[in-house]
Amino acid sequence: MTGKDHMPDGDFLGKEEAVFLKLDQISFSYSGKKSAVLSGVSLSFSRKGITAIIGPNGCGKTTLTKLMVGILSPIDGAITLEGRSLQEYTLAQIGRRIGYVFQNPNHQLFCSTVAEEIGFGLTSRGEEPEAIRERVDFFLDYFDLLSYRDQFPLHLSYGEKQRLAIAAVLAGAPGFLILDEPTVGLDAYRKKLLLNQLYKVAAMGGGMVIVSHDRDLVEQAAGRIITLENGRVKQDSGWKGENGHAS
Amino acid sequence: MRLDPRTKLIMVLCVTTLAVIYNTAEALLLLLAATIGLLLLFGIDLKQVIIGLKPYFFLLLVLFWAQCIFTPGGEVLLAIGPVRLLGTRGLLLGTSVVLRLLVVIAAAVILTTSNSRDFITGLVQWKVPYEIAFMVSVTISFLPVFRDELVNVVTAVQLRGVELKQVPWGKKIYLFRHLFFPVVYGAILKAQQLSVAMEARGFRAYPRRTYLRQLYLTRWDYGLMLACPGLTLLMIGLYKANLG
Ligand SMILES: Nc1ncnc2c1ncn2[C@@H]1O[C@H](COP(=O)(O)OP(=O)(O)OP(=O)(O)O)[C@@H](O)[C@H]1O
Ligand SMILES: [Mg+2]
Repeated sequence: MTGKDHMPDGDFLGKEEAVFLKLDQISFSYSGKKSAVLSGVSLSFSRKGITAIIGPNGCGKTTLTKLMVGILSPIDGAITLEGRSLQEYTLAQIGRRIGYVFQNPNHQLFCSTVAEEIGFGLTSRGEEPEAIRERVDFFLDYFDLLSYRDQFPLHLSYGEKQRLAIAAVLAGAPGFLILDEPTVGLDAYRKKLLLNQLYKVAAMGGGMVIVSHDRDLVEQAAGRIITLENGRVKQDSGWKGENGHAS
Repeated sequence: MRLDPRTKLIMVLCVTTLAVIYNTAEALLLLLAATIGLLLLFGIDLKQVIIGLKPYFFLLLVLFWAQCIFTPGGEVLLAIGPVRLLGTRGLLLGTSVVLRLLVVIAAAVILTTSNSRDFITGLVQWKVPYEIAFMVSVTISFLPVFRDELVNVVTAVQLRGVELKQVPWGKKIYLFRHLFFPVVYGAILKAQQLSVAMEARGFRAYPRRTYLRQLYLTRWDYGLMLACPGLTLLMIGLYKANLG
C-alpha cells in the first residue's frame, strides 16, 4: 500500500516528508469549563514512523487526539489534513484517512458479533463478501479472537475488547493511525503481537500516533516523543536519526 | 428562586398530563410555548438543550413521517396514482405527535436542574420507599447516559467510514435497526454494572438511612404545588368545553 488512494492532492505524492496532519496554535476547552484543556498547541505529523504522545493523567492527550480526528473542534487555531482544513471533511472522510482507536473500547464497539465488528468498515464500503471474510478471519486469528467470532462484543473481557477495537480499526487499512493508550489491559504476549502489527503498518508507510503511559512501548517503538503538560507541548523530540522503524 | 425538586416533579407531571390530554396541534403548540417559557424562567440555556437533542431529531422525523403516511382520511395532498401518500389528517396527527414528544422532553429538562440526590431525599421525606425513589432518580440521571451512548455510537460509526448524512433512507433505517440492539443492550449492561458497583459500596445495607441534607419546602413551593395542579385542571376543563 503506497497510500496513493488516500491522497487526492498531486503535490503530495512522492513527498515522503509531506505534512499529513497539521495543528496550528490549537486551543480548546470543554463547554461550561473556564480553564483551557489545551492552549497554543502546534504540531505536525507526516505519514511515517511512530510518534508517541506522553504526559500525566488529565494533561489533555485524549482531548488532543479527538481534535485530530474531528470529534471535537478547536476553539482557536486551525487543523489541516492533507492541506485542507479539517472542517471541510466529514467524520466519515476523516475516518477513511485516519484510523482512531478510542481510549475506552466500550465507546467504539457497536455491532452484534465480533466478526461483524471487524468487517463493519469493509462491508459499509461495499467490498466483496469473500474478501471481507478473508480479512476478518485474518484479524480474528491474528488477535487471538477466533473462538469469540459470534460473541457479543461488549461481553468480552477488557483486554479482548481492546484487541477487538484495534482489529476493527486496522481491518479498514487506514493510511494513518491514532491509538489512545492501546496497550492498557493487554498481557505481555498480546502487547508484542500488537506491536508487531503496528510495526508492519508503520513499515508500509502509514504514520502512527500512540498515546501511552507505557514506558517500554514508548522507548522501544517511538521514533519521536511529544510530551504534553498542562495542555501545552512541553517537549517535542523530533525524529531520532537512526530509528529503525521510522520509514 | 430555588425550588424544591418535588415542586419541579409536580410541575412536570402537570405539563405531561396536559400533553397527553391535548389532542390538537394548536393546543400542543401553545403548551410547548408555555413549557419553553418555563425553561427560560429556570434559567436553562435553550441552545444547549437543542444541541443535546440533535441526535433525536432523526427519530422525531421518522415518527412524523410514519404518522403522515399511515393515517387515512382528510384531503389528499400528495399521491402517486391511486396510492395516497399524504393527507391533511395525517399531517395534523404527525405534527401533534411530534409536538407532544417535544413538550414531554422539554418538561423533563426541568428535572435536570436538580441533582439526583435531592430527588431521592425529597421523595423519601414524603415517605416514598427508598428503592422506588432511587429508581426514579436513576431513571432521570440515566437519560443523559443513553444520549451519550448514542452520540458515541454515531461518532464511531462515522469514523469507520460510513457517511451517515448521505446514506439513502432505506439503508439508514437498516443501519439504525442493526445498531439498535447493541446500543440499548450496551446501556443496560452499563446500568447493571452500576447497580453492582453500588451494592458493592454498601447500598441497601442499612434499613434506616440518615440524611445529611434535609429539604424544606418554601412558600413558593407550597404555592406552586397547589397552583400547578389547579391550573392544569382548569386548562383541561377549558379544553374539553371548547371541544364539546
Ligand atoms: N467531556 C468532558 N467534559 C469536560 N471536561 C472534560 C471532558 N473530557 C475531559 N475533560 C477534562 O479535560 C482534561 C483533559 O482530559 P483528557 O482526557 O484529554 O486527559 P488525558 O491526558 O487523556 O488523561 P489520561 O491520561 O487520564 O487519559 C481533564 O482535566 C478532564 O477532566
Ligand atoms: Mg486519555
